[in-house]
Amino acid sequence: MDLESPAQQAVRSAAKEFVANNIITRASEFDKSGEFHLYLLDAAKASRIFAMAVPKEYGGLGYDALTQALVLEEWGYGCAGMGTTLAASVLSIEAVLIAGNDEQRRRFFAPMLNGEIGAFGLTEPEAGSDVGAGTTTAVREGEGYRINGAKCWITNGGVASVYVIFAQTDVKKGTKGLSAFIVERDRPGFIIGDKEHKLGLRSSNTVYFEFKDVQVPAANRLGQEGDGMKIAMKTLDTARPAIAALAVGLAQRCLDECVGQLHRRFPDRPFPGQTLQFKLADMQIQVEAARQVVRHTMMLRDAGLPFARESAISKTLGTDVAMTVSSEAVRLMGSGGYTSELGKFMRDAKVMQIYEGTNQIQRLVISRALLAPTAGAAPLPKGVAS
Amino acid sequence: MNFELTEAQQQVGRNAQTFARSHLDAMALDLDRCGVFPKGIIDELAGHDFLGLLVPMASGGVGAGFINHIQVVEAFSRSCPAIASILNNHALAAHAVAQWGSDAQKQHYLPPLAKGRKLGTLAIYEDGPSPGIGPDPLLALRQGGGFTLTGTKAFVRNAGVADLYVTFATLEPTAKEPRLTAFLVDADTSGLTIGPGLDTMGLKGCPVAQLFFQAAALGPDALLGEENGGSAIATRLLSLGSLAEAAQTVGIGWAAVKHAAEFATRRVQFGHPIATLQAIQTLLAEAATDCHLAWLGIQRAAQLVEDGAPFEIHAAMVKAFVGRFGSRTLIDAIQVEGGLGISESKPFGVGGTMPLARLFRDMAGTTLLDAPADFPAKLIAESIV
Repeated sequence: MDLESPAQQAVRSAAKEFVANNIITRASEFDKSGEFHLYLLDAAKASRIFAMAVPKEYGGLGYDALTQALVLEEWGYGCAGMGTTLAASVLSIEAVLIAGNDEQRRRFFAPMLNGEIGAFGLTEPEAGSDVGAGTTTAVREGEGYRINGAKCWITNGGVASVYVIFAQTDVKKGTKGLSAFIVERDRPGFIIGDKEHKLGLRSSNTVYFEFKDVQVPAANRLGQEGDGMKIAMKTLDTARPAIAALAVGLAQRCLDECVGQLHRRFPDRPFPGQTLQFKLADMQIQVEAARQVVRHTMMLRDAGLPFARESAISKTLGTDVAMTVSSEAVRLMGSGGYTSELGKFMRDAKVMQIYEGTNQIQRLVISRALLAPTAGAAPLPKGVAS
Repeated sequence: MNFELTEAQQQVGRNAQTFARSHLDAMALDLDRCGVFPKGIIDELAGHDFLGLLVPMASGGVGAGFINHIQVVEAFSRSCPAIASILNNHALAAHAVAQWGSDAQKQHYLPPLAKGRKLGTLAIYEDGPSPGIGPDPLLALRQGGGFTLTGTKAFVRNAGVADLYVTFATLEPTAKEPRLTAFLVDADTSGLTIGPGLDTMGLKGCPVAQLFFQAAALGPDALLGEENGGSAIATRLLSLGSLAEAAQTVGIGWAAVKHAAEFATRRVQFGHPIATLQAIQTLLAEAATDCHLAWLGIQRAAQLVEDGAPFEIHAAMVKAFVGRFGSRTLIDAIQVEGGLGISESKPFGVGGTMPLARLFRDMAGTTLLDAPADFPAKLIAESIV
């Protein structure tokens, strides 16, 4: 794709090679076992890809948003579960880039530069889409805070070294009382709970955890007290097109696998009937449209322009396309598709319509930008997030 | 036009619902986890007369009609779709013997099939675009008054656990338009081996595998119907099968819609149960509409089957329709439940296990198009062009 710069092309082909050698080869195995793909962290260590969003001045790769999308698309092509580990780590980096000071950034990014990963903890059992309903609290005590509560459905939650955690510093204020904190994994009272067994993205680590009187210094607070909601929303704006990039990769993989299965099954017939030909064309139309929306969103972001609306559009389109294309692929390829890796892609896609803000929440964001436009970014519905 | 079922038909439907609740609900999760064919339940199914529904009373069966069959498949699918699949493949094999078998074949096979002493299934598909023209078709040779079969059948349900495979082979592959011939193949036929069970994403417990035939010798009495008469038999069985699969789609769909609706009344976000949100109501309403309309179409087609009238176009339309909404119903039902909907275990903060992830995987295996001939649009278009 010639519109990419030579640097971007180089990153992409390196990602493609890494995915071919390290991800595609083992994705099924880890999907079956549901174990976390720890080997991948070792394999990726030399390339420091988990620090791709860390600016060069902090010793990271400093990839712009578009370049990150190219990498994520390749990872999604290989395994959206493994890609989710990368995307979730980048998400935690983005939160610190958005709200962290220089000292916090250096501290938070250090493990990422060393091949470790981060996690982002917002969701709670009673606070999914309704972020303001969270009950995790951070109470000011002397030089620091004491955190109590629980978080669930946290990606990388059991395997990260550093976390960005959201807690209420003023419960009475709801979303306006939400604050963000860096929490290191080894803090006493930070208890990692059981892993969730999921329909898809099985090798991606999803856990709940609890905070029992976890003490963090005030220096770990990102931004001011009450900035949490703003930080969470801005961070999720950056994460949504990243998820969409994974989804585009997944959907393209489904198409390529369909073509491969057709050619294997019908070696003498390069073209199946028109019904199937047109289905494949429709699938490719959707994938290409989603891919371009993702890239456009990333280019807006790289240009410093508002991209919240496009972020919501790309997440919804990308993951809906991945769902449609993977389900069609399974159905059209029949039992052969049902017993192949296409089934995994379908299961993976279903999870992607839900995490990082359900596609229903994205539609609220998009329709509000249409119905009640204001200058700049689309207004978010009160208390609405992931 | 009367959509009312007779009292006897309603009774079978009620029995199936009761059996599903008392026997299948409890086993569905474990069966999905272990994926091992549930031998024990076969005796239970037989004991409750579900295995002999399509077998005439004279042959030891119930002599019920196809409407009863789809009722049972739909009811079982609400609880454990894998059992519905096992039952459906068995019932269609028994139907094939009852419909096209000789008196001797009926006498030999039907009583044990009806009582669950034997399990049956169909072996129709091959790896190629259609049976007889792929890379490794199942070919039949006339030999010493009988036949030998050589080649491979693909994606056979109940493979390895069935005692009878109603098997379709090509007898005259060089004919201008080769047709299939149907055979009754016992599992212990020498030269028949069963491939390893395929790793399916759902309907676990209903095994799927290839059948390999190496000069498997059959007597003349293994021929079902006429030589070269199998294509018509296969077509009819596939049409009946697509109605049963549609019933399975509806059963799984209703189970999902009801679970999601119940969840939505309990899940509170933004101060209200999410069932009060229009966006959630729309997802549920559209899924319920699809299930309802599909069921009307299925019942209509099943009535035509019972009347002995042509039903194939109706079956194709039903297949096309359920293919459009089947997976979407689960995609949307899970969306209502969010993170909890994709859980395969007992998620944090919830007392029990969540069934929609399992039903999602089961649904994906229910609406497959296994061969180009399965594309229902072709048959429908031919009927109107």
